[in-house]
Amino acid sequence: MSEDAVRLIPADEGSWRLEAYLRRGGYEAARKAVTSMAPADVITEVRKAGLRGRGGAGFPAGLKWSFVPQGGAGPKYLCVNADEGEPGTFKDRAILVRNPHQLIEGMTIAAFGVGIRKAFIYVRGEYGRIAGRLREAIAEAEDEGFLGGGIFGSGFDLEVIVHLGAGAYICGEETALLESIEGRRGQPRLKPPFPAVVGLFRAPTAINNVETLANVPLIIGRGADWFLGRGLPKDGGTRLFGVSGAVRRPGLYELPMGTQLRTIIETHAGGPPEGVAIKAVIPGGLSAPALRPDELDVTMDFDALARAGSMLGSAGIIVIGDKIPILDVLKVMARFYAHESCGQCTPCRIGTSWIHKTVTRIGEGQGRASDLDHILRLADGMKGRTLCPMGDAAALPVQALVTKFRDELEKAVAR
Amino acid sequence: MSEVKMVGLTIDGRTVRAAEGTNVLQAAEQAGISIPHFCYHPAFEAEGNCRLCLVEIEGLPKLDLACSTVVREGMIVRTSTAPVLEARKDVLEFLLAEHPLDCPICDKAGECKLQDYYDRHGLFPGWFLEAKEKRQKKISIGKGLLLDRERCILCTRCVRYLRKVTGTGELGVFERGVRAEVGTYDDAPIDNNYSGNLVDICPVGAITDTDFRFKTRAWFLEKRPTVCPRCSRGCAVIVESVSGYPLEEGERRVFRIRAGENPAVNGYWICDFGRAGRRDIDEGRQERVIKSASPESELSWQKALADVMARIRSVPGPERAAKVAVILNSRMTREELTLAKRLFAEGLSLDKIFFADPKPGAADGFLLTEERVPNARGVLQAGFSPRLPDLDALAASVEVLLVFGSHLLDHFSEEAVSRALAKIPSKFLFSAHTGPLDRLAEIVFPLAVSAEKSGTYINIDGLRQSFGRAAEPAPGVVSEHEILGCLAAGLGLNVGEHDVR
Repeated sequence: MSEDAVRLIPADEGSWRLEAYLRRGGYEAARKAVTSMAPADVITEVRKAGLRGRGGAGFPAGLKWSFVPQGGAGPKYLCVNADEGEPGTFKDRAILVRNPHQLIEGMTIAAFGVGIRKAFIYVRGEYGRIAGRLREAIAEAEDEGFLGGGIFGSGFDLEVIVHLGAGAYICGEETALLESIEGRRGQPRLKPPFPAVVGLFRAPTAINNVETLANVPLIIGRGADWFLGRGLPKDGGTRLFGVSGAVRRPGLYELPMGTQLRTIIETHAGGPPEGVAIKAVIPGGLSAPALRPDELDVTMDFDALARAGSMLGSAGIIVIGDKIPILDVLKVMARFYAHESCGQCTPCRIGTSWIHKTVTRIGEGQGRASDLDHILRLADGMKGRTLCPMGDAAALPVQALVTKFRDELEKAVAR
Repeated sequence: MSEVKMVGLTIDGRTVRAAEGTNVLQAAEQAGISIPHFCYHPAFEAEGNCRLCLVEIEGLPKLDLACSTVVREGMIVRTSTAPVLEARKDVLEFLLAEHPLDCPICDKAGECKLQDYYDRHGLFPGWFLEAKEKRQKKISIGKGLLLDRERCILCTRCVRYLRKVTGTGELGVFERGVRAEVGTYDDAPIDNNYSGNLVDICPVGAITDTDFRFKTRAWFLEKRPTVCPRCSRGCAVIVESVSGYPLEEGERRVFRIRAGENPAVNGYWICDFGRAGRRDIDEGRQERVIKSASPESELSWQKALADVMARIRSVPGPERAAKVAVILNSRMTREELTLAKRLFAEGLSLDKIFFADPKPGAADGFLLTEERVPNARGVLQAGFSPRLPDLDALAASVEVLLVFGSHLLDHFSEEAVSRALAKIPSKFLFSAHTGPLDRLAEIVFPLAVSAEKSGTYINIDGLRQSFGRAAEPAPGVVSEHEILGCLAAGLGLNVGEHDVR
């Protein structure tokens, strides 16, 4: 039980109920923040804790909140990004299923810190049943006065609305998410202005990932130093590592930020099954450029993976065994991005489709010698040139596969 | 106007000053540096979807959009470095990969941004080996507009125009990725009085107008500006015609009218009613002078006008006020109206000066006004008090009647007009278009239409707008200005022709 109190995913099966959460010491951090802290101190503490965004970009959460203008008469919003669409990622889902109150408590603290009275949780369309549980948890919290009007007897109110998406990957991009909540076609907005200044319904808006917010009660409850001690000096806390693919024990592992990738795969997930060797590892969801077996001695934190030419992203680790042709991985990847590109901007709309068509043709045995170079050129044409980060998210992993597994792909092209 | 703060920046090594809030694309344009773009339109907020206007801005890690980046003091912009040119080429390459390249049968060819930009910024060998998406190429989206989804580059100018300018929002983007397409909602057609602007703002040939489709090639068109005569707003329009008249039977001279730009009046837009004014120039025109006594004989307007003068002279000076009448209209230019005032009211001392204009229509709350004439303010400024004639009174006393225009019929039945005119011994019609009054006149003179003339109109807000000739006059037509000047000279009246404004 004591260990469960500091875990994002408690072992206890009934952990999602309010009663169980309270037994773990739940809502004490929110009580502390709301009744005894100044809002600015909440933000300062989270900044000190080095909490970096768990959605993928790793932007410091406290810093993001500090961009939301203080005061002002108009509304401000908090949007929780629970549109967990990155292939290989299933961490937010686990929090929503097993520990929804920790998210709600984190939201309460964040909203208090930033001065927000209305929050939306944008849950991906495929998580319909989970959204139902989330709504139940919200109702429990409201009944106990942890949400709603006059929280903890203070003058602080917070209303939480669960909004279900319709199944578009792009709505995980924060501005597309805002468009979707507003009832429009889910496609990204031009930035600047950033959502912290002009966000939902044109009001200042804080947007954070589920896992990011679920860490906030730990920081406020136990302090920034304790939190930093659970991770790295500039990148605090634990991380939920989702391991899938060619391992004996696929699953979700909550480990300190900066754990060795090889340790996660070999020790925690049990390594590849008998007779299988690792061919490639995608370390942070499909959009993270793949690593070769000789590149696995890297610590799983934002900076180390960036140095390794990849990214921590959503920390969804996809292990690819040697029985899987890289062309198959490339096909899945290309199809996914072509299917999910919103179509708004030229390079992503056409680039993802063109790559998909080329990869499909190679798969049909119609490859040409020039195809791989063309794919690299197409990826170059998308990189850094699109309206939102999805252009890079689609181009970089394709480029990594083609570059790092060129010999194998050359053979597939020549077949 | 409050003082505009200016910002100094450098674009391609050139020092540029631009008003605060200007975007880099506009600032560059003002300095004579054009940055290619599809989706940006100065009437809307930047959308940033085409990605063609990417430029280098010092201090930024990657290329950024010229259309959405606001100028800052000291900003250094480069629009033609290798990375910028590379990015442009790539965007064009992407767009052309899925483009049908049916330029030979595309109305837009010759004035297509995609063509122009490829010529200037592309010129790469094509290496798209895949099958292009097959899409619908001829979708009727309302008001004679056709949508070709293969040509569409999804710049969404059309979608945004209908949302932000007309507020009617008939178009949206459906589906996503390479399947994304523009369309109407549940096949509800575009239905507003400003639909023609969609063709003007489409940078490629995705939206075409059946009125223009396959009628000519853009490069044959001569484009000249004028002021729209169809209501009192006075919108800037461009008349696009081919020279070489006379044409074959049924062939056009003026192929289309498009919106001109005038920030003080119409911005970038004109209404469909004004656009349809193309027909006024080519269709139903009076082609020659027709004398009812000898309808087959060829007669110059100067010669025919001698008859008119003879009839006026035949009425003794003191009796003219009662026995000579004219009916003018508010389509005449300010210059023509001044001449008319000096000739008829001052020179001939006529009392019976009337006006017959088209009946007012409904204003549409945007540009189209109730007055379906361009120069009602000009009529007042020329010193007229416009009023309709009393047909009975006219019939009872008038011996010579000059009618300019055919809008008596907008106010009186043909039968009533016939009855009245039958009692008037001499009546002359000056009209651009054929109509039921023709047979009632002793002589019909073929008049020029507005686009064939130069002059000045004063719009509903009192704005004076002069314009030059926008289309070569049809052969044999004559303007009111010529008629009035010739009458004045013939009747020995000094109307100060060189000072008629």
